Amino acid sequence: MIAVRRLSTIFARPITWIALLVAAVLVVLVAAPLAGLVAATVREDGGGSWADVLASSLSQNLFWQPLGNSLLVAIGTGLISTLLGGFLAWVVVMSDVPGRRIIGVLATIPFALPSFAIALAWESVFRNDRLGGNPGLLASLGVAVPDALSWGALPVTLTLVAHYYSLSFVVVAAALAGIGGDLIAAAELTGASRARVAARIALPAVAPALLSGFLLAFAEGISNFAVPALLGLPVRFQTLSTRLYGAISTGDTERGYVLAILLVLVAAVVLYLGNRATRGRSFAVITGKASRARTVRTGPWRWPLLAASLALVTATTIIPGLVLAVSTLLRRTNDLDGGFTLHFWIGASDPSIAQGFRGVLSDPVLLQAGMGTIALGASVALCAGALGLVAAYVVRRVRSNVVGAGIGFLAYVPFLIPGIALGAAFIAQFGAPIGPLPSLYGTFAILVVAGTAASLPFAFQTSRSALGQVSNELEEAALVAGAGTGRRIGRILLPLSARGVTGGAMLVFVTMVRDLSLVVLLVTPATPLLAVQTFRYTSEGFTQHANAITLVIAAVSVAATLLARRLQGARRPWTES
Amino acid sequence: MQHRIRWAAVAAAPLALVLASCAAPAESEEAIDFASLSHEELIELAIEEGEVSVYAFTSRIATVEEAFEAEYPGIDVVATDISSTEQIQRLASEHAAGSATADVAYVSDAPVVITELVDEGVLLPYVPERVTGSLAEEYRTPLVSNRLSTKVLMYNEQAHPDGAPVENLWELTEPAWAGEVVLVDPNVRGDYLDLATELSLQADAMAEAYEAHFGEAIELEDGVPDAGLQFLKDLYANDAILTDDTDNVNAAVGATGQEDPPVGFTSYSDRRDNEDEGWALQVAADVVPSPGIVFPAMLGLTAEPANPAAARLLIDFMMGDDSETGGSAFEPFYVAGDYPTRDDIAAPADAVSLDELGAWIIDPQRTAEARGDVADFLLTIQ
Repeated sequence: MIAVRRLSTIFARPITWIALLVAAVLVVLVAAPLAGLVAATVREDGGGSWADVLASSLSQNLFWQPLGNSLLVAIGTGLISTLLGGFLAWVVVMSDVPGRRIIGVLATIPFALPSFAIALAWESVFRNDRLGGNPGLLASLGVAVPDALSWGALPVTLTLVAHYYSLSFVVVAAALAGIGGDLIAAAELTGASRARVAARIALPAVAPALLSGFLLAFAEGISNFAVPALLGLPVRFQTLSTRLYGAISTGDTERGYVLAILLVLVAAVVLYLGNRATRGRSFAVITGKASRARTVRTGPWRWPLLAASLALVTATTIIPGLVLAVSTLLRRTNDLDGGFTLHFWIGASDPSIAQGFRGVLSDPVLLQAGMGTIALGASVALCAGALGLVAAYVVRRVRSNVVGAGIGFLAYVPFLIPGIALGAAFIAQFGAPIGPLPSLYGTFAILVVAGTAASLPFAFQTSRSALGQVSNELEEAALVAGAGTGRRIGRILLPLSARGVTGGAMLVFVTMVRDLSLVVLLVTPATPLLAVQTFRYTSEGFTQHANAITLVIAAVSVAATLLARRLQGARRPWTES
Repeated sequence: MQHRIRWAAVAAAPLALVLASCAAPAESEEAIDFASLSHEELIELAIEEGEVSVYAFTSRIATVEEAFEAEYPGIDVVATDISSTEQIQRLASEHAAGSATADVAYVSDAPVVITELVDEGVLLPYVPERVTGSLAEEYRTPLVSNRLSTKVLMYNEQAHPDGAPVENLWELTEPAWAGEVVLVDPNVRGDYLDLATELSLQADAMAEAYEAHFGEAIELEDGVPDAGLQFLKDLYANDAILTDDTDNVNAAVGATGQEDPPVGFTSYSDRRDNEDEGWALQVAADVVPSPGIVFPAMLGLTAEPANPAAARLLIDFMMGDDSETGGSAFEPFYVAGDYPTRDDIAAPADAVSLDELGAWIIDPQRTAEARGDVADFLLTIQ
């Protein structure tokens, strides 16, 4: 009787229904593909792949050593990214350093550049003669560059940092902007030193954001394949991602899936540890009395801070961007000796160059592909943003730890499911008609569904960190005033966390327009996408064409970023100085 | 004759399936015995269908599309570029879900295609009658192949104008070549795993070459099953440099102006980019026992093609016309360093003949059986 009554109270609360809905969506989008992954590893040969990976003579080189390398790279990427991203966010949001707006724009661009472009930039400076071919700048000046600087853990980690610190920047900048100036003013009035204000107010206030930034950079770092393959393999530096990709592409799919599941488990442990570190503490800084963020006067430090910030964004945005741009103008792939040409941008078909492929801007498919890409990016950003926000809200409100942790887990791991496996899972789920519903396969909708699943971590982590700042009191006050759940979300939580949520949606958009691995299994010629165009060119080794498309993608991403910032400004005028 | 019977059997299975699952099958389509149609009748049916969808592992399919649509104006080719690995996964998943979207698959990575797609009934063979006579058995079954590609030892001809600096593969395991041999990691890319597997399958030739070079019979180390794998172990121990992509091998080996360039395993046909890219790639065709491997690109029908006649017509088209170069249909694949499978199409000029090249032609079935063990072996010698 009591149990029934308790149950009926639980189900009387709207949050229960929202939680169930979110859980159901996550089960379809994430848990089912994961379960499919697990099933595939035990179905065929009764789990022999598990034994191969974990307990055989191969384990050392197939799993343990790559695991060590992956952890080294991913933890390094997570920590340094968070440090650099947090630093830049502070400079841009809190300080009075000149030019901070431009720095703010430049700091979001590395994420829009493909990671291989940043790796190429690294190579163009630090490549030594180990591999042969054309050496980098230092080596051609006669400097003996050691292997450790050209290849392996160090360049892989730093390249990934250069790519992913944007994530921390976006999340932390949103969080810092949420700290009311009154909080800091009050602290200063009590005579607290600047360092004390930073340590006791600013840092705790952005702790959830720092954690979110770390978790995102960690997951991206551990699953990135392109960078360790390019800069690691020449010294046989293998990571779980190179092993995973290798197993799948050499036809041993099950072994690849086993590695993917182990990656998910590693991420789950990191997620658990991260959440434990921040559990049970309140990070709410947004109360009923919002005021404009206060600028910290940096005095004589402004110039060194400016120099450091500029050096950072130059090395990670301007140089890789330039390397990429120049590479599209080179007659010969990555080789200055052949001279320059605009052919790969605007040339007509010339059978003597690149098998007659015309320049990318002369290709009528480009515009269509560009529109398709933007439509996909925007749709996914909207869906993932909404789902991420609601999921984060549920995790915040729901009383059951199990439900909260489960949703948190499912919303974190989609990065780590290989795109090819996620794609295959969606074909299996949506390839045939489900009851009265027609098959989604071959439609735009399935791309949106799959994209939402794959990019959910950005939306969830940013929303979680943004909501974490909003004081419960606000919602409780609204509750007392009789506002329903939808009204509380729409009128209080959404406006107050808008900056974080749009930041997340922007990351989702950028990932979707740039990332190929997932959509290639689902896309049809009817929905041309820029990322698919890139593949068309790389498959035949037309690097300049591919890089030109990549640059177009980066331009689209940057435009979206700028637009998102404008929108943020419009939503929260009081945070703009 | 035997071929016919086999064909009928595989054709009957999906036919029966479709008949069983459809309440009102379009009779004109189901009853067609494609094997008995004349070429003109096939064209007629294909034009009625009006469309054919193809998954291709190479973007050169765009050129094929143009040529095909010029030849058969009523039929629209819908081409999807998708790498072999992803294509295999996609075809298998679509087949399982019963939602095939392609009629034809043009795919490399033969060992995986055979085990994952052909053996599972996802892809079915179609060999156009008119080319049967000019194709060797291995290029007709289990799927028809239209051309062969290579992974062979290449060197820098600017640095070595008097010919290849290597005469015997075993030289690459000696100190002179330490850190000077480049290849894509066979644990990352299937075609390089096929190369490694072939070295193992050709263990006798490798043992013979060892003796020719060192003057004594090879002694295998403990745990090394054969002379081919011993070669790979010695090569890895000699600091062979692994990379992720064929283009990296080309640039490393081929870039002009190098004093002491490495040698490496890559595609012979990439030599055609020498002038464009500032490379000096040349094949070490005379190396003993063989410079590497030759492998097929295959064409197959999906199990239940929506456009069965147009699908067959496209495969027929991609096998080339009856001229000496295969005509416009074959032009995108008529590249020096690749080889047509048909013995009545002359190999492109500017490359040594397939015989002179002396590369091992892989047997995808045997490769498929052995490559898992070879991959595992390579994992132990990192």
